[in-house]
Amino acid sequence: MLQEIRHALRLLFKNPLFALVAILTLALGIGATTAVFTLVDALLIKPLPYEKPSELVLLFEHFKQQHLDAIPISPPEFLDYKSQLHSFSKLAAFTPATYNLAQADRPERVFGATVSAELFPLLGVQPIRGRTFRPEECATGRDDVVVISERLWQRKFDRDPKVLGSKITADGRALTVVGIMPASFEFPLPLFNITGAQFGEQADIWQALGFTDTEMKNRGSRSYGAIGRLAPNVAPQQAQAEIETVVRGMRARFPGNYGKTDSFGMTVYPLKEQVIGGMKPLLLILLGAVALVLLIACANLATMLLARATAREREMAIRVAVGASRGRLLRQGLTESVVLSICGAAVGTLLAIWAIALVKTIGTQTIPRLGEVQIDGTVLLVTLAVAVATGLIFGLVPALASGKPDLTEALKEGGRGSTSSRRHNQLRNALVIGEVALALVLLTCAGLLLKSFVRLENVSPGFNPKNVLTAEISLPALSYPDNKSQSNFFAELERRVTNLPGVTQVGLTTILPMSGVNSDASFMIEGRPNDDAHPGPDEEDRIVSPNYFRALEIPLVQGRFFNAADKLDAPSVVIINQALAQRYWPNESPIGKRIQVPFSKSPPWSTIVGIVGDMHHRGLDQPVLPEYYIPVAQIPYSSTILNVRSAQDPLSLTSAIRREVQAIDPALPIAHVRTLEQVIADSVAPRRLAVLLLAAFAGIALILASVGIYGVMSFLVVQRTHEIGVRMALGAQRRDVLRLVISQAAFLIGAGTILGLIAALLSTSVIHSVLYNVSTLDLSTFVLVTLTLALVALVASYIPARRATRADPMLALGRG
Amino acid sequence: MTAPLIKLNHIERSYPLGKQQFTYVLRDINLEIEEGDFVSVMGPSGAGKSTLLHLLGMHDFGWTGEFFLDETPVHRLKPKERTTLRNEQVGFVFQNYNLLDDLTVYENLDIPLSYRRYSKSERTALVADTLDRFSIVGKKDLYPRQLSGGQQQLVSIARAVIAKPKLILADEPTGNLHSGQAEEIMQLFKKLNTEGTTIIQVTHSETNAAHGNRVIQLRDGWIIK
Repeated sequence: MLQEIRHALRLLFKNPLFALVAILTLALGIGATTAVFTLVDALLIKPLPYEKPSELVLLFEHFKQQHLDAIPISPPEFLDYKSQLHSFSKLAAFTPATYNLAQADRPERVFGATVSAELFPLLGVQPIRGRTFRPEECATGRDDVVVISERLWQRKFDRDPKVLGSKITADGRALTVVGIMPASFEFPLPLFNITGAQFGEQADIWQALGFTDTEMKNRGSRSYGAIGRLAPNVAPQQAQAEIETVVRGMRARFPGNYGKTDSFGMTVYPLKEQVIGGMKPLLLILLGAVALVLLIACANLATMLLARATAREREMAIRVAVGASRGRLLRQGLTESVVLSICGAAVGTLLAIWAIALVKTIGTQTIPRLGEVQIDGTVLLVTLAVAVATGLIFGLVPALASGKPDLTEALKEGGRGSTSSRRHNQLRNALVIGEVALALVLLTCAGLLLKSFVRLENVSPGFNPKNVLTAEISLPALSYPDNKSQSNFFAELERRVTNLPGVTQVGLTTILPMSGVNSDASFMIEGRPNDDAHPGPDEEDRIVSPNYFRALEIPLVQGRFFNAADKLDAPSVVIINQALAQRYWPNESPIGKRIQVPFSKSPPWSTIVGIVGDMHHRGLDQPVLPEYYIPVAQIPYSSTILNVRSAQDPLSLTSAIRREVQAIDPALPIAHVRTLEQVIADSVAPRRLAVLLLAAFAGIALILASVGIYGVMSFLVVQRTHEIGVRMALGAQRRDVLRLVISQAAFLIGAGTILGLIAALLSTSVIHSVLYNVSTLDLSTFVLVTLTLALVALVASYIPARRATRADPMLALGRG
Repeated sequence: MTAPLIKLNHIERSYPLGKQQFTYVLRDINLEIEEGDFVSVMGPSGAGKSTLLHLLGMHDFGWTGEFFLDETPVHRLKPKERTTLRNEQVGFVFQNYNLLDDLTVYENLDIPLSYRRYSKSERTALVADTLDRFSIVGKKDLYPRQLSGGQQQLVSIARAVIAKPKLILADEPTGNLHSGQAEEIMQLFKKLNTEGTTIIQVTHSETNAAHGNRVIQLRDGWIIK
């Protein structure tokens, strides 16, 4: 075997151009596979970084009648579940939170979560220093203890061990650090998205969760996520069955909260599905795409090796003559192809490392777990396996075709092409037809996805995202304990920022469109029934300042915007969007109608004073939802997002805005500073990444197929030199020769295109679920990609055809 | 009385020309060659000399008739058994040497042994012995292209005998050599023959044929003498 490996390497050095093209072809195919497998491995295959992660589930409630799926739970409900459910060995509650961390120089906003004491034991992750929470610390008044991340320990405390037991000031509160979690620990994971964690944010502080008396009195106030670990040998279905029983009991005990129907319930969701479920279809499509690229690379290599096999027929015949068995020749052929493939894999791995780094740059903030992606031992092993398999696949065709050389003919002095050459030609043609077909499938899928993406990007979000800067500000409860102080702060901030040079409008909102954060709440409509048979509506709610609509350029359709007169002590007002108006007042004007919104003051009714345009709040590809807006002056909120429309580059305002915030309160940080255009771009980032990767793979496929056609036509031209010489000697013009060669290429391209179109028609349904507003049979895409492929392939065959027309008949005939 | 090393009975070799039409390159060949013979096959171009040689070397299986090699009925053997028999009994020398261009002299000698599953130590010893025997030790790391025609043919013969075959088949072994080199090669064959190896060569040269003890004349596929 060593001898064969040595010989294979020697052959590579002997034909550097062949080796270069072959290794690059393989590097593209295997590199793409490695890169995508790295993503798939990290995001889909690798277990979550917790103990026995398959036992972990998230619990979400629902109200079917109100179309509310996967909503958080309330503290009384959590305690009910905890005491009554035996299918879980542990249940924990949590909610994402932000902390304004006091700093000598500049305050920092840090992301984290408040979590019940069971969480850390439930996840099975131990702190690297100190401890986690004791049950008694998870109570109001005793919850001033935190566990911090190793990242924060490093960044803020320079790994000082004395931090344990010391106090840090967050939101004006002194919190005692009791433990440090390892840097690898991450919770909540992105996509949990219960009440506000954003993609890509890692929690650095976990505070003990103590439910307040107010929370315990309000069974309908749901803002906590629940995570559970299934008891040993309990399947999710069994847990679900037990939940049904417990929920029935709750419905019987609290009919006022849950009604008498079975609308209310709770569902078990495996944790991993929740974290990576959204990415799964895209990743599987990409995996399919790289498999096609790899197949095309294999076909290309097989055609190259077939050409070489024809040239090496004499060598093979000699080997047989001196004693090589068929198996031995096969082994040698396969050794050569596997060596080639491993060289390709080595270069491919380097390409994959680069590609992964690029993908991380593009998507770390927007794609869950992307930060964990890296090429590790598993990936390298799979790459090696792919390389060996690839080598065997593309090596088998020529090795088998070369296994039976015609010795008598091949060993003769000046022996001419034998029957195996004709067999090789047929194989080569079949491989090129296959390559063209596969490339067309890939190009069609990429074309459809690209068109889908372009259509998506052209969807009007319902507001103007250009030149708007957004920044989050959270007021600590200790410094801003009441509505008045909160209102005053935001009013002053709005005034100061509005006066900054270049600023044209400033608006506040509690929830930014397309940020992945959503909120909905039930409300009642005056004069309409609200009972079990007719549960009150539940729609998207936002709390905004009067100028929010102007800042985002959301059009006013009817009535008026909020104004300065809509104060805390003024009559309550709301603005609704067109979708809500259409849903509940389809045949009349809703202006002047009254609804009762949550947290309403007395009297409880709010008057609808305006209708604004619809927006795609949950994403460009998501439908418009009914929304209602409440003025921030009437329901002050401690956490808000500043939207600043500017006449200049909005990011240039960042420092000025930070200065204005700190001029009012030096302890307040601003966080998540980004433009609204960036927010929208982030919302489609996974899709953009998939389109980019698929387009790249389709491009590679196109190049490989062209190289394949070029190689085969070049070889055929060399093979037909004698014939071409004869034809020219008999009077054929250059255009006749050109036609001769191009027509042969056109046959291959035509056959490949027809096969490819059939395959594409059958396979594009696979990507149906990720297409937006584009049919899987979109005619213009099919026509365009077919023409592109045919044109590129014809150009690739034109070069050898031109070379054929330059053949010197005398030389050609002499050689023949 | 010992059986001949080679015995051919009514051997015929034809190629299809078209529907039900064939062209014959060997016709009703009946031939016996004793162990230790040095036979020269002669005849004009197209007489079937090389076809006969490749048939004897079991490179060609498309013939009819009976072929006994060392009493083994080749015509009844399966392809794999024929390959084994060939590897055990036959060494080949070609007009155009047919050395493997990408292997050194040493490796060209090593490869037939490797295909015959000799152990590494046996191969090393046999190659060293053969290099010495053919006085080409100094050329062992050279590639064929770095050798003269005569030297290449010398290596080719060394390769043919390295696995100690009973029979050497040589297809115009001096066809590409000048007369001086040709004489050296013939002397070498003579020496191998004296040592017990049976040699069958195809040649156009009466001088070369004179080194052997028997001449077979072929014409249009028939043995005429």
